[in-house]
Amino acid sequence: MNRTIIRLTAQGMLGGRRLWLLGALAALILVIAVATRLLAPGSPADGATVLRTIVFSTFLPLFGLIVGTGAIAPEIDDGSVVHLLAKPVSRHTIVQSKLVVAVGAVVALAVLPTVLAAVILGTGAQTVLAFGVGALAAGAVYAVLFLLLTLLTRHAVIIGLVYALIWESLVGSFVPGARNLSIQQWALSITDAIAPAGVVAADVGLGLACGLIVAVLVVGTWYAGNRLAALTLATED
Amino acid sequence: MSSPDSAPAGVIHNIGYRGYDGERLSRRAITLALYTHGLRGAFGLGRAARSKVIPMGMAVVMLLPAVVLAVVAVVGEQMGQLSGPVVPYTRYAMILQAALAIFVAVAAPQSVSLDLRFHSLPLYLARPLARADYVRAKLTALTTAVFLLLAAPLLVMYLGSLAAGFDAASETADVAQALLGALLYAAVLSSVSLVIASLTSRRGFGIAAIVTVLVLSYSIVSSMQGVIAFDADDPTTAGWVGLFSPMTLVDGVQVWAFGVTTSTPAGPPNDLAGAAFLLTSLAVVALGYVVLNRRYRKVKV
Amino acid sequence: MPVISTERLTKRYPRVTALDALTIDIGDGVTGLVGANGAGKSTLLKILLGLTEATSGTATVLGHDIVSDGLALRSRVGYMPEHDCLPGDMSATELVVHLARMSGLPTSAARERAADTLRHVGLYEERYRPIGGYSTGMKQRVKLAQALVHDPDVVFLDEPTNGLDPAGRDEMLSLVRRIHTDFGISVLVTSHLLGELERICDGVVIIDGGTLLRSSTVADFTRSSDRLALEVLADPDDALVALADAGLEVVRDGLLLLVALEDDETYDKVRDVVADQELGLVRLAPRRHHIAEVFDEEATRVIS
Repeated sequence: MNRTIIRLTAQGMLGGRRLWLLGALAALILVIAVATRLLAPGSPADGATVLRTIVFSTFLPLFGLIVGTGAIAPEIDDGSVVHLLAKPVSRHTIVQSKLVVAVGAVVALAVLPTVLAAVILGTGAQTVLAFGVGALAAGAVYAVLFLLLTLLTRHAVIIGLVYALIWESLVGSFVPGARNLSIQQWALSITDAIAPAGVVAADVGLGLACGLIVAVLVVGTWYAGNRLAALTLATED
Repeated sequence: MSSPDSAPAGVIHNIGYRGYDGERLSRRAITLALYTHGLRGAFGLGRAARSKVIPMGMAVVMLLPAVVLAVVAVVGEQMGQLSGPVVPYTRYAMILQAALAIFVAVAAPQSVSLDLRFHSLPLYLARPLARADYVRAKLTALTTAVFLLLAAPLLVMYLGSLAAGFDAASETADVAQALLGALLYAAVLSSVSLVIASLTSRRGFGIAAIVTVLVLSYSIVSSMQGVIAFDADDPTTAGWVGLFSPMTLVDGVQVWAFGVTTSTPAGPPNDLAGAAFLLTSLAVVALGYVVLNRRYRKVKV
Repeated sequence: MPVISTERLTKRYPRVTALDALTIDIGDGVTGLVGANGAGKSTLLKILLGLTEATSGTATVLGHDIVSDGLALRSRVGYMPEHDCLPGDMSATELVVHLARMSGLPTSAARERAADTLRHVGLYEERYRPIGGYSTGMKQRVKLAQALVHDPDVVFLDEPTNGLDPAGRDEMLSLVRRIHTDFGISVLVTSHLLGELERICDGVVIIDGGTLLRSSTVADFTRSSDRLALEVLADPDDALVALADAGLEVVRDGLLLLVALEDDETYDKVRDVVADQELGLVRLAPRRHHIAEVFDEEATRVIS
């Protein structure tokens, strides 16, 4: 880990407008939790459903997209990544330092609000823990994936959006086999494993899910380091 | 460097500089030219091939289901199983909102973020074009583009209904209502996206922000409406919650104004709510225009 | 009638005054607007074009008031900004055609004029490639082309030689000169390099800290003064003594000796002294002024 890179990435990712957006998203989760609790004091199971739908299928993928691309896209965009690459720092160290910031942002602004929301909604302690761990898993995997995507193509954001919106939302509904390829489902398996039975329904076996998560994290980070080493810059949009 | 224009004997004539005495168009015509430029740009026309992918892709995604529905209408009617369209016209936008969201999320930054990123605004403003003209042209161009994207499939479905022999009068009335709804959808979505896009010179960030706002707001509102309407058995409050996302907002206006069934878990519960929905929609569009104007007045020239 | 006329034009920012009651008249031809960085040159151009509002004061361009008649004004004026302002993904042709239409030209006329103008500024095959890949010199030409494409009556060029190498500078300067002599368009060109404007301008306006230092024709500035500049191989101090002994008023300026020119005989006297004392004549010429002297009070202290 390189402290300077961590600091610079944090400044770039969390400076100004991005921080507003991320903070607003985090606050939104809390507002939803409070509003749902006030307006529909039903059973905690419904609260869990609301949280699952909103957080896992929409909030976390988008959050991961903003944070994963935000870790390096600004530098590629304005060309200052050249300065970064000119330093005698291992490319893998660079990637790992950036991911530290990304995952840190995920923990602070995504996992924490999710946990708080679950508490507000009155779901049991086990469920709260389950959601927290699941959110952490999903957030981390999304961050790694989208960071890698940013290094692979200039259209990372659009592709990421298509994945997050279309794949993640539709996949769950229509194509059973493809669920194994949905990050959302992997995270939900973990959540299902920790939470009391019946709170969350998961379609991917726990072992497979954990394996896939770890695989993506490790391989993704390593491959991103390689791609960074081979990065070429273009001048126009 | 390129070679200067020399005249090999008698072949090329250096005609020198010619002045221009021809027509000079009015400010309105110039704004119109910027409008057409923007409308074409939203669909990737006049730009590199790869910038046509998303707009054309989304257009196809919007049209295909409509074609399928039209065919189903004709076949279903022949088999005696259908007497009206399967999907109400006014519901189509809601079903395909992902495609709409992606289209507008890509088109809005393309329209305004580039000028901000490359600081090209002075080139426009040093011409007989006011800031307000620039804003108006961009806004109306994007609105028209989104409207076309929605109107085409609606018309395809309408033709299918006619071919199937459904009651022409009621189908015409229904599609007309849906087209008005499409116009409102277009205005609201364009307004919101352009405001967001104008806040950043980074295209990617603009795209992400717009999609986040549109999709997340819908996801939240519809989930909460579901929970409130069915679990808490409070359709009234659930109806009011529909104010908080662009898609449900306009759908609420359609429900109240045209009496169609809601495409959300709960529509506006009464006339007061309906009027509030309409006013809010118009306010969003107007506010967007005002905010854009103020934003462009402050842009560093 | 002056092309540009300002009356106590002032622009105040919270911490700095960019223009301070500037009152100038600028006529036909090529006029240079000179001043150090931050002197207010770009601000003046932006105010005249209506891109920024003045805090107080009035101005007219080609008889149009900049506030009440801005739109009509801008259809007759061309502007070449100083900063990078070209979108990277369009080609030069596409951009200039588009901006021509933004100036009010109908589409076919826009295409014709764009092709013509790009040829006049010296962009040939490159015009079809995206601007993102252009060199600085080519980008400056594109900026100039879009300022000329609608056949304006006057163009404002903000630091057109910025970022160009010496050869590119020369080409740009002669292009600027041609805009007036060949195209018949008046030019207001800014620069912080005083020497280059001397070559191409008819008149010069010097601004410092937002106020007018001097404004006159270049001929006035650089007219011959009443001094002779003498350069010799020998030690200048020895020459100084020799010339003074001969009754001439002389002052040393580095390697040069400046001799007060009283009448035609001064030339003969100097020649005689140089020959008698075997000083080794290198150069003897009437001393011309330079615009830089306006800033340098020491050098303009006249011997009297």
